[in-house]
Amino acid sequence: MKSIHWQNALKSPELSSLVILGVITVLFVIGNGEFLSPLNISNLLAFLPELGIIALAMTLLLTAGEFDLSVGAVFALCPVMVALLVQNTGMDFALALLLGFAACVAIGFLNGILVTKVGISSFLVTLSMLLIVRGAALYITQGFPLKSLEIEHVLVTLLSGDFRAGPFRFYASFWWFIGLTLLAIYVLDYSKLGNWISAIGSNRSAAVARGVPADAVKIGLFIATSVLAGLAGTISALRISAASPVAGTGYELEVIAMVVVGGTALNGGRGTVLGTLVGIFLLRVIRNGIVLVGVPGLAYNIFVGAIILAMLVLHALLQKNTRRT
Amino acid sequence: MAEDVLRLDNLTKSFGNVHALVNASLTLREGEVVALLGDNGAGKSTLIKTISGVHRIDSGQISVRGRPVTIRSPRDAIELGIETIHQDTSLAPDLSIARNLFLGREPVLFGFLGVFAPLDLGELKRSASALLKRVGISKKLDADAPVRTLSGGERQSIAISRAMQFSAKVIILDEPTNNLGVEETHGVLRFVKEVRDAGHSVLFITHNIHHVFQVADRIFVMRRGEVTAELVVAETDLLTVESIITGADMSELMGGARHK
Repeated sequence: MKSIHWQNALKSPELSSLVILGVITVLFVIGNGEFLSPLNISNLLAFLPELGIIALAMTLLLTAGEFDLSVGAVFALCPVMVALLVQNTGMDFALALLLGFAACVAIGFLNGILVTKVGISSFLVTLSMLLIVRGAALYITQGFPLKSLEIEHVLVTLLSGDFRAGPFRFYASFWWFIGLTLLAIYVLDYSKLGNWISAIGSNRSAAVARGVPADAVKIGLFIATSVLAGLAGTISALRISAASPVAGTGYELEVIAMVVVGGTALNGGRGTVLGTLVGIFLLRVIRNGIVLVGVPGLAYNIFVGAIILAMLVLHALLQKNTRRT
Repeated sequence: MAEDVLRLDNLTKSFGNVHALVNASLTLREGEVVALLGDNGAGKSTLIKTISGVHRIDSGQISVRGRPVTIRSPRDAIELGIETIHQDTSLAPDLSIARNLFLGREPVLFGFLGVFAPLDLGELKRSASALLKRVGISKKLDADAPVRTLSGGERQSIAISRAMQFSAKVIILDEPTNNLGVEETHGVLRFVKEVRDAGHSVLFITHNIHHVFQVADRIFVMRRGEVTAELVVAETDLLTVESIITGADMSELMGGARHK
């Protein structure tokens, strides 16, 4: 009885990913003792929440059956807008931030309307949006990174302040990430909205037949995804005191990889925030550890890709054994 | 005579040049099972879609308990007590049985939080288990199991139970026995009788005339968008119905069927 229980638990994608995360971590520690050094862990935790925050939103969006390729571009545009407004017009940081988020809301809303009401696939809509938003970020900055972003404001501390706990250095983004993770778990697994999100991704017409406002839910999720991508970009820009129009290039695919490796279905219906959490750590740990164990920089995407592929093959095999129809 | 729960008068619906419904009329009384028969393309599914709020009628009148109504959306239909169960499309396979049973009408705590309100998971599980028990399919099924793990017949039973749960006056079953095994088909047919005995009216769309004779009280036959015949099951036989469906010589059949 107990062994059956364990077999079933191992078939859950979250747990199999967690086991692999453990194995890979151990391999990296053996490969280079520095992997667990306070400095390396601090670096890992400084960078991880910035992609992680986007991955949380992407998890909910994928569960509803859509995805968003424009997040990497929004990650750049939002802080670039904020920085330009503050530096060129002397606008208050809070107001500039509000305008930056308003732009994110508009981008998400447009994505949502085009996907749900016009009926174009989210792949095509958000791919076009990626080009438009990235192009806008490049045009308004004329392609150059902005001058150093030194702003004194309570909001800056709230978004990117840091503190030390012993040898470890934590950024505010870490707490944002924890808070948003708990919120995402609550929404997806315990709220009425989460039930709707899963139902829409699982069988949209069944959800609509029960009176679930599927289009409104999807538009809301597109907006949330854009806003969180903008928040992540702003946090990142403030941490390194620079807003660059090319920041976040390629993040859209990395984020989707994190979510899918965690066990969320790419075609909707089944989403797991805990799995995404494991996926976020897995991809960051791989990128970090692979450098530490001495894989040549130019070769490391080969390893990252191969490990993601191996994970997906594993999930597919486990799924095959559990599915009945 | 029992009251007309649902009454359709001269419904018409065209898609461009295709006249899907041409003056289609039928009645459904309280506590009876009515079968809707017809060949492919006869207009059965269009008729169902106008009642369940998927299509809007061009002209004609739908009445529920004698009151004329307008049905614009699936939500309107559900609020009027009309529940439609399609072959595959009624349940979300990745959700648990309990979550499917209450989809769109979830029991929540702190309702003022709107869509962000927490599900009342204890109540959800209790109500779902009670419902499964009441409809007699609780023995094998766990309310927390995802619908994806159920057989076709079990899924049909869950969908029908859900319609009963919300005390639908009219339950429309769109080809409920398609793709089911023999055993499961009998299970669903038995279930349809229980639903009727519980006081619901059932409109049963099917290709299979044998199933009709097992559960239905009356039969309507559609041809080319029109309801061409109304028969009482107790007063007719299989061959008669079959020839009406295929449009064989009608004059010879006048004895058995009351034509409209």
